[in-house]
Formats: sequence, C-alpha cells, structure tokens
Amino acid sequence: MIFFIIRRLVLTVFLLILVSIITFAIFFLVPRLAGQTAYQLAAQYVGRSPTPSEIKAVEIKLGLNDPLYLQYGRYLKGIVFGIHYNNGPDVSYCPFPCFGYSFRNQQPVWPQLVSAAPVTLSLAIGASVLWLIGGVSIGVLSALRRGSIFDRFSMGVALAGVSLPVFFTGLIALELFSYKWPIFPNVHFVPITTNPLLWARNLVLPWVTLAFLYAALYARLTRAGMLETMGEDYIRTARAKGLPERQVVVKHGLRAALTPIITIFGLDLGLLLGGAILTETTFSLPGLGQFTILAIQNQDLPEILGVVMIASFFIVIANMIVDILYAVVDPRVRF
Amino acid sequence: MKRRGTFAATAVGAIAALVISACSSSSSSSGSTPTSTAGAVAFNAGLTSVVNPSSGKGGTLTYDDSSTPDSFDPGNTYYAWVLNFDRLFVMPMFTYKSCTGTCGEQLVPDLAADMGTTSDNGLTWTFHIQPNIKFEDGTVVTSQDVKYAIERTYDRTVAANGPTYYQALLADPKYPGPYKDRSKNLMGLTSVQTPDATTIVFHLQAPFPDLPYVLAFPSSAPVPPAKDTGSNYQLHPVSTGPYMFQSYQLNKQLTLVPNPQWNAATDPNSKQAASKIIVNLNVSQPDIDNRLLAGDVQIDAAGAGVSAAAQARILSNPALKANADNPVDGFARFAYLNTKVAPMNNIHCRMAVEYAVNKVNTQTAYGGPYAGGAIATTVMPPNIVGYKSFDLYNVKSQPTGDITAAKQQLTLCGQPNGFSTNLAYRSDRPKETASATAIQASLAQVGIKLTLKGFPAGSYYTNFAGAPAYVHSHNIGMAMGGWGADWPDGFGFLDSLTAGNTISSTGNSNIAELNDPVVNDLFTKSSTLTGAARTAVWAQIDEQVMKDAAIVPLTYEKTLLYRPTSLTNAYIQAYYGMYNYATAGAKS
Repeated sequence: MIFFIIRRLVLTVFLLILVSIITFAIFFLVPRLAGQTAYQLAAQYVGRSPTPSEIKAVEIKLGLNDPLYLQYGRYLKGIVFGIHYNNGPDVSYCPFPCFGYSFRNQQPVWPQLVSAAPVTLSLAIGASVLWLIGGVSIGVLSALRRGSIFDRFSMGVALAGVSLPVFFTGLIALELFSYKWPIFPNVHFVPITTNPLLWARNLVLPWVTLAFLYAALYARLTRAGMLETMGEDYIRTARAKGLPERQVVVKHGLRAALTPIITIFGLDLGLLLGGAILTETTFSLPGLGQFTILAIQNQDLPEILGVVMIASFFIVIANMIVDILYAVVDPRVRF
Repeated sequence: MKRRGTFAATAVGAIAALVISACSSSSSSSGSTPTSTAGAVAFNAGLTSVVNPSSGKGGTLTYDDSSTPDSFDPGNTYYAWVLNFDRLFVMPMFTYKSCTGTCGEQLVPDLAADMGTTSDNGLTWTFHIQPNIKFEDGTVVTSQDVKYAIERTYDRTVAANGPTYYQALLADPKYPGPYKDRSKNLMGLTSVQTPDATTIVFHLQAPFPDLPYVLAFPSSAPVPPAKDTGSNYQLHPVSTGPYMFQSYQLNKQLTLVPNPQWNAATDPNSKQAASKIIVNLNVSQPDIDNRLLAGDVQIDAAGAGVSAAAQARILSNPALKANADNPVDGFARFAYLNTKVAPMNNIHCRMAVEYAVNKVNTQTAYGGPYAGGAIATTVMPPNIVGYKSFDLYNVKSQPTGDITAAKQQLTLCGQPNGFSTNLAYRSDRPKETASATAIQASLAQVGIKLTLKGFPAGSYYTNFAGAPAYVHSHNIGMAMGGWGADWPDGFGFLDSLTAGNTISSTGNSNIAELNDPVVNDLFTKSSTLTGAARTAVWAQIDEQVMKDAAIVPLTYEKTLLYRPTSLTNAYIQAYYGMYNYATAGAKS
C-alpha cells in the first residue's frame, strides 16, 4: 500500500506539471498564436489612455516580453522556490508555493487562494456529507422497496434534484427561508474559527441546495447499484446461509454497490473543492468558485492559472484517495 | 470615471426635475455645512431632500457590492462608487458639496483651504491646505504629503487604474514616479512645489481652468511617504477622513471604524454618521436586492441600480416604490460613427445613421425609462454645466427613426441603396448586445447592413474599438459605448470624446476619431475663458459634434436605487448620481 501511495504521489506531481504546461499554453501561447502581441496584452493592465512607454513598462514588469519558456520557467520556479515581486517602494518576497501575482490587484495569488479555500472547503465537505448520507440511504431504501410509494416518490424527487440547476434551487431557498420566512436570515460566510454555530447556520442553505443536486444523483446511482447487487448469486447464498437481512444488505450488498459511488464521489468532491461556482455565486460565498469568476471577468491570467492548478490538485488528490479507498472496499483491487 | 468596474462612466447625476426642484431647495443648501431640506418618504424624495435625516452617530452601516473595487488606494481608482466612497477615509484637495439637487455638483475645498489662485497667464496654480488636518496616527498633514500622493500616480506599473490628468497637464510629463525617482528627497516632480507646509504650487504645460476639478479625485488626498507601501497601500490607506480601515480582506470585506483624529469642523462635507461601516464584496446582485429590501444592508455600493427582477417588484409595490429614487447618473450611451472608415467617412452616410436609429428600441434594450434612461438628442447629458437642448435629427418628433430623411442622406452619400459596415460592441454586456441588435434592425430598414462584431469588455478599448489600427483594418464603421464626465462641466464630458488631440493608438476614447478643426479650436478657446463665456463653449462643441454626425446619442442613463428605512441621511448627490456616501448613516 505504501508503494502504491508513493507511486501515485509521484505521478500526481508529473500530472500537475503537465496541467500547468497545458494551462499556461492556453492562456499565454494561444493568444500569441492568434496574433496578440505582448504589448497588446500589457495594454489591458494599464488602465485608460496609457502612453506607449507606460504600456512598455507594464509589459516589462509583468515579464510579458520574455519568451514563453522563460515565463513558464519563472512561474514554476515561483511555485517551488517562491519569488520576489516589485510592489513599488520595495521588493516583497512571495514564498512557496507562490502562484505569481495578480495582473489586476497586484497582490500575490497564493494568499488569495488560501483565503478563499476555507469557504469552499466548508461548503464542499458539509454538502458532501449531506448528499452522501442522504443519497445513499434513499438509494438503498428505494432499492429494497422497489416499486413502493417511497421508491416512486423518492425517485421523483431525485429526478427533480438532478434536473433543477443550483442557481434556481438556491434562489428559491434564499427567497423562502432567508426572506419570506427568515429562518436563515442574511446568509453570509462566517469562519468556523470565529463562531462555529454561525458558521453552520449560514451554511445550511448552501449545503442543502448543493446536496439536493448531488443526493438526487447518488440516490439514483445507489438504487441502480443495489438492485443489481441484490440480484447476484452470492446475495442469495448469504441469505440461504441464514445471515440476518441487515448484514446481507449492508455487508454484502451495499459494500459492493458502493464501489462506483466512491469513484464518482471522489471526482465530485475534487471538482467541488476547486470551486462550487454556481453555489458560491448564488449564496455570495467568497470561495474559490467566486474567485474564479472574478479572475475570468478581470482577465487576470495568473489568478485563473492559480485556481486551475488548485482545482487540478484537488481532483488528482481526490482520485488518489478514491483509488486507496477502492482497495479498502474491494480487496480484489489490491491483487 | 468608470461605472461598476467596467468602463468609463461618470457619476454626475441630476435630471431636469431635479434641476427645477433644486432651485427650491437651494436656500437650504448654501452655507458651509451639508444642509438640505428633510423630506418625507416618497418616490424620488432623495433627489430633492434628505430622507431620514440624522445628526447622531448611528449603528453599523452596511454596503454590498456585486464585484470588487478597482482599488481602495485613493491614487489608483477610477470607479465612480469608489470615488464616492473614498471620501469616508481620505480628504482630497477638493470635493463636491454635500447637499441635494444641483448644489451637489458644486466644487468646494476639502483638504484645501481655498479655491486656489492662478498666475503666469494661467500656467501656475497656488493652493493652500488647512493647517491642522491629521492622519489617523496623529501626524499633521503637510503639502509635501499631497505632492507625494500626486507623484505616486505617475508610476502606472503600480497605480494603473486612476486618471492620468497630472501627466497630461503638469509641466514635466516624463517624471517616472517616486519609486524610480532618484532625486534628493524625492523632489523629482518639479512641476509641483511646496514652498511651505501648507502651500502647494502647480506648474502647467498650458492654462487649464479646471485644475481644481482634477484635484477633486482622491488621488490628491495626502499620502505620507514613510507609510507608502506601493501596491499594498490599498490594504490600508492612511486615513484623513471620518473613518479609517480596521480590516480589509481582499475580495471579501472591508470594515471601517471612526477615525479619532478626524475633526468635523475641518471637513463639513462628511459625517461620522455610523459607528462602523462594513462593505461586503462579491455579493450576487439578486442577493443584494433582497438584502436591501429586507433592510439587512443599507446601500448597494456600486450605485448602478437594482436588477430587473427587483425593479419590477419595487415599481409595482407603492410601499417599496416610496423608498426608491430614480436619478440620472450622468452617464450617456452612444453609438460612435467612425469618421475615418469608409463609407462612414462621408458625413451624409453618418447622418443617414443618425436619422435611421430607432431610439425607442435602444432605450428598451438598455432597460426602459427607469433603468435604461431618457432618449438622448445631444452628446452631453442635461446635468452637465453648459448643456443646451437641441435636436438636429428629428428624434423628439420621430423617436423610432426618420426613414425618409435617412434615405435622402444615403442618396447624398452616394449609397442610395444603403451600404455595409461593422458594428463593434461588448458581447459580455447583455444590454449593449441588445442595443446593438436593435440598431442593426433599425438600420436594415434603410438598407444599411450591419455585421455585429462582439468583443470582450476587458480589452474592448485597449485592443479593439479603442485601437484605431484595428478599427481601420477590420472596417469597423460603428462602435457601441458609454461615457460620463470626470467632472460636471462640458470639458470634463466632451474633451476625451471629441477633441482631436485625444486620439490615441490604444485605449482611445475618441472612438469616432473626430478631428474637426472647429471643435479643436473651441477647446483651445475654452482654456482662455472663464465663467459664462466658457460654459457657452460646451454647447457649441456639442452642436458641432452632432453636425459632424460623429456620435449617435442613445440614452441619458438613469438608475433605480433603493433606500431601506434603516438608511439615514439618504439623498442623491448630483455629482455621483448615487447616495452621498460621505454623510450616509444607519439607524442604531
């Protein structure tokens, strides 16, 4: 298992470097191939009515006039060793893992990512707990009571959950529970370290909204998986051997049905940790998703690059954890 | 100035009704303190009176912003709402008087002790600053701190966002900024001199009567050199205003608390009307609207109006409507007609476009009469000093377009069956996209085929519509845009749009590339005039630009703003076209 993890970690590093090369190329090489010059790119970051010399000065400061391999090398070096940047009166040091500094607000990218990450983490973890428990439970019960009113009703709700976008359910939730009946008034993010109760209270609506979407998906997946598993020969054998139904369902049925759920859960959680853009925007949560939107609106390439790298990191790590869990849940994987 | 963090816009606001009503309230708005009549709660009450007046220090005043500021560094901002907001923590040399109606467009000294004097045929301006103003740390402000603040704006690698008037006006435009200044005691900016601690002298390249208006930008607010942290100064500007920074989390939240060193007697146009001010950033617009209506926040910081959904809700409910104001914000929407791109380089082709545009449809596209604005017939909006109403293209009688006149102009242009050209617009702006589509449809009626060319807003002026080389090579005969004055007189509105010497290779604001000697001469003449004679020039320029058919004025923009009952001292300040942030407060 140790070698397995080490091997995956090494692969993760290579994968992240590959992602950084591709992302860097998309943002810096493709525009050049389309004819955009470094001067034109710099002109976007000088404000109104700049003189040519002012644009040139910004081009030099941002290093846009250097060959791309040098710019990429500098970026990578910044991540590994940190980098010095000129803030005007003096030079500041941006330590590892510095993701460069913003072309717009002239602040290092990494501290901004670190500041946004707890919000996304709070949202993603809380919602994932809800949807995992809710989705899997409903899926199992639906499968065990196939054709019942509960099954039909829960699958109907699941269909609605999958179909309705977060920005719709989120706004409805806010309208109903924050303004019409202010059970959760004035929703805004409060760090867990400041006030755990307020942290939870302000996240209930985002959690439920996000979990509603995913729980629906997971309920349907779990139901399908359980139905398939519960029809297997070994389940019949287990029952024939006189095992209690609970043990048959949980230990033999659910365990096997969980394997694909874990795979998808890892991917979903990884994606969400990179920023739940719609949910964060709807509920005005200053997380990585909102940071991404702002970076795109401002055409702030280092910030976009930073958030892509973070999202990739979470997805790769989540996949690695999934692979490890896979081995735990299904011993056949280890052999 | 830029509205809502996007593009050049003004924050000058008043409407004809406001002008009229201001006359009735003018008696209460004279004097040195921000006085205005207290008004009952009613629709548009905030245009002419102070709603919920309060003299005490209230509770926490909360602002929500749907985006982020360009910067809270007073030397690095151009957003209209930030210019309004900055007065809470800095004192620029001049400011706009805190009062209702057109009184709110009046320039008054803030840090300055007087309106300044000119000498040397207008090439030298001398100002004095108030002697006992203190920074938040108790240090006394000197004229050297003002000079240093101006020096900082020269380094655009650090302060890219603000206006560039000092570089254009002062006698040493090549000054590199204090961070590259190697002269003794950072005295490299020789065009600004500080003979003593309270005197500051500006030497100009050419006479410029509007210099005090330039000094009303927060970039003239003093910065102590020892406390300058360059690009990090935005995180904690050193306060001279009624509040100071307590905490600022970039992209998240700003908290201001009262500045103990501030003295109300030296800053009569600001108030400490709240015990704390919180600005939440990156709040979604529907959420802001709901929070405003619920009274959870007091002000939508951007001041750009509520969303369409909230607008319908407010206008259909008398109780809510009574808490709303609908000011003209001084911003105007245009279609620029390029005078250098064939066949638009023919004045009759441009006139055909002027006649054919259906302005009712473009008004609807921009949001209708409440959120879009009034149909425009002139380049300058009505609130600008020097505005004169005229209508050269029959817009008032035929707002949906004068097809007959348009066809006559096409014949004179040698294109009786119409012509083809491209129309540039910002594709990530739904209202502008809708307006471009409306213009395309109306011009098709006279045979003018427009191909719509959408570009991202972020690089629209730098790389596309504002880059003449690109415009010429891609045959862009028309371009959508908007504009507002940096200060409320004709020069502030018209110069960048229409003066031939403002055409630049990138970030060009004179998108029509108008270089009319008549217009240019009028601008030159204006610099030698003062008072009413100078004011009269602006209408002449406006009329000449319309005769040149270089710009199709579409709307004088209006916004629908909501003021919760918990907001105190609520009134529209005409210059900003939004609530006066310098005096606003919240009920305890």
